[in-house]
Amino acid sequence: MEILIALVRILIYPGLLFVAVGGLLLAGIDRILVAKMQRRVGPPLVQPFYDFFKLMGKETIIPHHANRTAYLAAPVIAVVSLAVTMLFIPLGGFSAVSGTADLIVVLYLLTIPAVCVIVGGSASGSPYAGVGISREMVAMMSYELPLVMVLLAVAKKVGSLSLQAIVAYQFQNGCMLFHWSMIPAAIALLLVIPGEAGVQPFDLAEAETEICEGTLAEYSGAPLGMFELNHAMKIFVLTALFTALFLGGIDTGIVPLNVVITFVICGVLVWLCCSLPHAICARLRIERLFKFYWTIVAGLAALSLVLAWFGL
Amino acid sequence: MFNGLYIHFPVLAVMVLFLGAFLVVIFGTHAKNLRRVIAITAATISFALIYALIKPVMLDGEVISYWMGNWEPISGYALGIGYEIDGLNLFFALLVEATILLSGLYSLRYMERDDYLDRYYTLYLMLSGAVLGLVLTGDLFNMFVMIEIMTFAAVALTAFRNWTAGALEASFKYLVVGSAGSSFVLAGTILIYAQCHTLNMAQISSMLCGSQGLTPTTLLAFGLLFTGYGVKSYIVPFHPTAADAYTAAPTSVSMLFSGMVNKAGVYAMIRMAYVIFQAMGIPAVQTLLVLIGTVTMFVGVTMALAQHDFKRLLAFHSISQIGYVITAIGLGTALGLTSGLFHAMNHTLFKGLLFLCAGAVLYSTGTTSLDKLGGLSKKMPKTTILFLIGAFSISGLPPFNGFASKWMIYQSTYAKAMETNNIGFAFVTIVALVVSVMTLASFIKVTQSVFFGQVTPAAANAKEVPFAMRLPMWIMAIACVLGGVFYDKVLVWLLNPAASAALNVTNYIDKMMGDGYAATAGVQNIEAHGATLSFWNPVMWLILFVVVFFAVGLVVVFGKGTRGKVLEESEGQEIEAKYDSFFGGEKALPSHLGGSDLFWGFKHNWKGYFHFMQRMHSGVVNDYALWAVVGGAFVILYTFVFLR
Amino acid sequence: MMLANYCVSIFLIVLGLYAVANKHNMIKIVLGMGIVDYGVNLLIVSIGFGPGGTAPLFVISELMKGAYFVDPVPQALTLTSIVIGACVDAMALSLVIKIYRKYHTIDSTEVRRLNG
Repeated sequence: MEILIALVRILIYPGLLFVAVGGLLLAGIDRILVAKMQRRVGPPLVQPFYDFFKLMGKETIIPHHANRTAYLAAPVIAVVSLAVTMLFIPLGGFSAVSGTADLIVVLYLLTIPAVCVIVGGSASGSPYAGVGISREMVAMMSYELPLVMVLLAVAKKVGSLSLQAIVAYQFQNGCMLFHWSMIPAAIALLLVIPGEAGVQPFDLAEAETEICEGTLAEYSGAPLGMFELNHAMKIFVLTALFTALFLGGIDTGIVPLNVVITFVICGVLVWLCCSLPHAICARLRIERLFKFYWTIVAGLAALSLVLAWFGL
Repeated sequence: MFNGLYIHFPVLAVMVLFLGAFLVVIFGTHAKNLRRVIAITAATISFALIYALIKPVMLDGEVISYWMGNWEPISGYALGIGYEIDGLNLFFALLVEATILLSGLYSLRYMERDDYLDRYYTLYLMLSGAVLGLVLTGDLFNMFVMIEIMTFAAVALTAFRNWTAGALEASFKYLVVGSAGSSFVLAGTILIYAQCHTLNMAQISSMLCGSQGLTPTTLLAFGLLFTGYGVKSYIVPFHPTAADAYTAAPTSVSMLFSGMVNKAGVYAMIRMAYVIFQAMGIPAVQTLLVLIGTVTMFVGVTMALAQHDFKRLLAFHSISQIGYVITAIGLGTALGLTSGLFHAMNHTLFKGLLFLCAGAVLYSTGTTSLDKLGGLSKKMPKTTILFLIGAFSISGLPPFNGFASKWMIYQSTYAKAMETNNIGFAFVTIVALVVSVMTLASFIKVTQSVFFGQVTPAAANAKEVPFAMRLPMWIMAIACVLGGVFYDKVLVWLLNPAASAALNVTNYIDKMMGDGYAATAGVQNIEAHGATLSFWNPVMWLILFVVVFFAVGLVVVFGKGTRGKVLEESEGQEIEAKYDSFFGGEKALPSHLGGSDLFWGFKHNWKGYFHFMQRMHSGVVNDYALWAVVGGAFVILYTFVFLR
Repeated sequence: MMLANYCVSIFLIVLGLYAVANKHNMIKIVLGMGIVDYGVNLLIVSIGFGPGGTAPLFVISELMKGAYFVDPVPQALTLTSIVIGACVDAMALSLVIKIYRKYHTIDSTEVRRLNG
């Protein structure tokens, strides 16, 4: 029975199915918003679903330079690990799995999809992917420092590394976003989300115009569909993480309503961190990206960490 | 079955190895197979003897004391040389034995193309016996002797392939800095003798407790011993010789170095700081260890990012991971010590695996240069998978063992930060997390430039290594996965006994010197406070595994058939265009980003730092000796300023 | 008198370390290592010595209560240490010979193929 419940959690709610549908919906919202900002009509809301299912039906070509196993396994592992990440993030106040230091578990689980993109791209044997993984990895090193600092600042404020404890603290003391010392950290996390999700100003690893989709240059068919799904799911997971960390105190008393509210907040966040920069920013160079994250964003996060340390 | 007999096992385990060394010299000079049989038999017997002790010592909590020649203490004074095995000793002995046996199995095939193999096996057994003796002994001077034997054997093994570039110079540097370290250890030992008039560690420990431990003589001894054992565990600033030695030595020996030689140094530091001086309650000592550990992990990983050679990169990662261990044990909490021991164990496993992968690459291609290799995953698919397991373990990706121990280390450092309200420890946590990402980055670099991508000319004729070489790699890879998934079991069976043995000083003294001895001397146990651990739900992870395997299997099955078939490249046959990599019309060339410069976007921002470190690691033996002397002077000065 | 011993032993250790860190001739580096060893050995013997003590050589019937002799343990330790020191020197010198054959120099600043 325990195993059955766990299986339902992993596969349906809040795991694979829920994250996949939610992520693809958010991706649809993102595309509509970008289109509106660029004065286009834009695709229908469910366009990402159409794209995904169409890709699943296409032929999978494995280039002869590729390492077959890693090439095929990478997208699957990326999707599964994102589904597992969602188990640790409290949705509407409760997470499916909780432990003492699951903040660090989430941090590490969030690196796995990026590693899968890198390993998959690397395994495809394309020189464009070689450039792509170089950029992806440097981007990862860039946003990891501010992300770590944000998480530790919140943990210090609450006095625990457990996400469940962080949400419980907010139920009692109000949302983290309304504590003024945490506002720099919130801004830093908002800047980290587009970097981690790889959207427009920070999408160097998949720059279509320079390196032909970089890491995904050789991908086709079902694995490509999995990577597109992975991208959509990642946006959902990251915005849900933001909600849990900084807006976790919203409580209507009814759990499903809380989840719906969380999803709406995620939509707003998608507009803020994905659509808006996508519509108004041009792509950064990689060494600029690194500098930006390690100076401005890390500085904001460090400010919050120090303030939290002095009990503010 | 061995009722009471097992107290003889530790000393027999050491003696079997030394006996094997002599037998190889006597009988193995011409008999090619006999020397292999002798070496492996000695290693296996020793392995079995030590692993038989798991039950009495780890599970039943016994402490074995053994006096050589039955010279028991007379009226409270230890006369003879004693062996004392508690959980801490045995934990490291288990690591040492596993390394010895696996390295021995690997070198059967790996070394077969070399000459003078009788000398190789003699030195291998000498090194093994010395490290095992160092870990098991209860006598400070005996420890020094074992360190010296260890250094000799290690230096000779480093120079074993003396026709390769750098082997001789690496061993000379190792010898110079290593013997400086040994001299520090000897001077420290003798100063302790001057204070206590005994060399038995249990008795010294009972005499140095409390305020007595802080006379100027013992402070100087502490500084000297710390420096000496620091040289043996290759922490910054004593690390550059280690990088050279790991690179130049045959790979099976590099595995011995990173698997047990530096663990012996770590063991000696734990034994000294926790048991002999009982100094881990003092904040200044904690700060010293954590500071050195943090610097070590950062310097190690950044140097690794700048490397062009597979083995040298691994060597710097070894240094970096030891930094994690030192940081964790320096926290002085039970959780910190446990996580440090866990990481030491995991480091033995995954770094051994990675070194053996590097050895496999060297065996089949003849080079370890990252700029020359490429595309080996087509030629050596099994080695590629093993390497990926090792790389993910060392980068700390869940669910491998590196993640479990790093997770505990972050937890313990941050718990310490919140407990003492000291932002310095939070900084340590941040550095540890960032270093982990950099570790991942440099292994991605290796993956891309050695195993994936186009096949380069150097790799064109590579073949998969024989099964006899892959067997030890598989054993370690499986241990990496199991240690990550069932880490609660590892914690209960191995780590908790080891950590509590290190913290339970009175028991250590009483078992050696007679009951009640510690109480009369006024020794108290270190207070083991700190956070307790809770586990995540392993059921979740097991289900996850099932799902992952199911999903991967599904994809692989669907990938077969008419869709997506892989065409083997054969002579004179054109490949259908759609299965070729996309090049945008230009001539097909390997990626213009060479293996070592993959992360130029990162290095560009840090170029000042990288140029500085490049200049500091000059390769001149005088500079390295100067580093060691300055490091030692710093430690002694620190001891006198902050511990008075 | 013992103070002089300690001072000399510390001086020898420092001198040896200076030679190891500053001399570029490899033979001189090996000599420096030797000097460190001698300093430490002098320290060991000095620690075991007590003013007015006799050599610790007795047959059973001679040994009485109140017989005053120097501590024999450090002397045994010194012997071990001297043997080890000799081995270190021999090994280091043989490596220097090998290095000379391969690099055609014994200047340590030119023996730096492994760097960075």
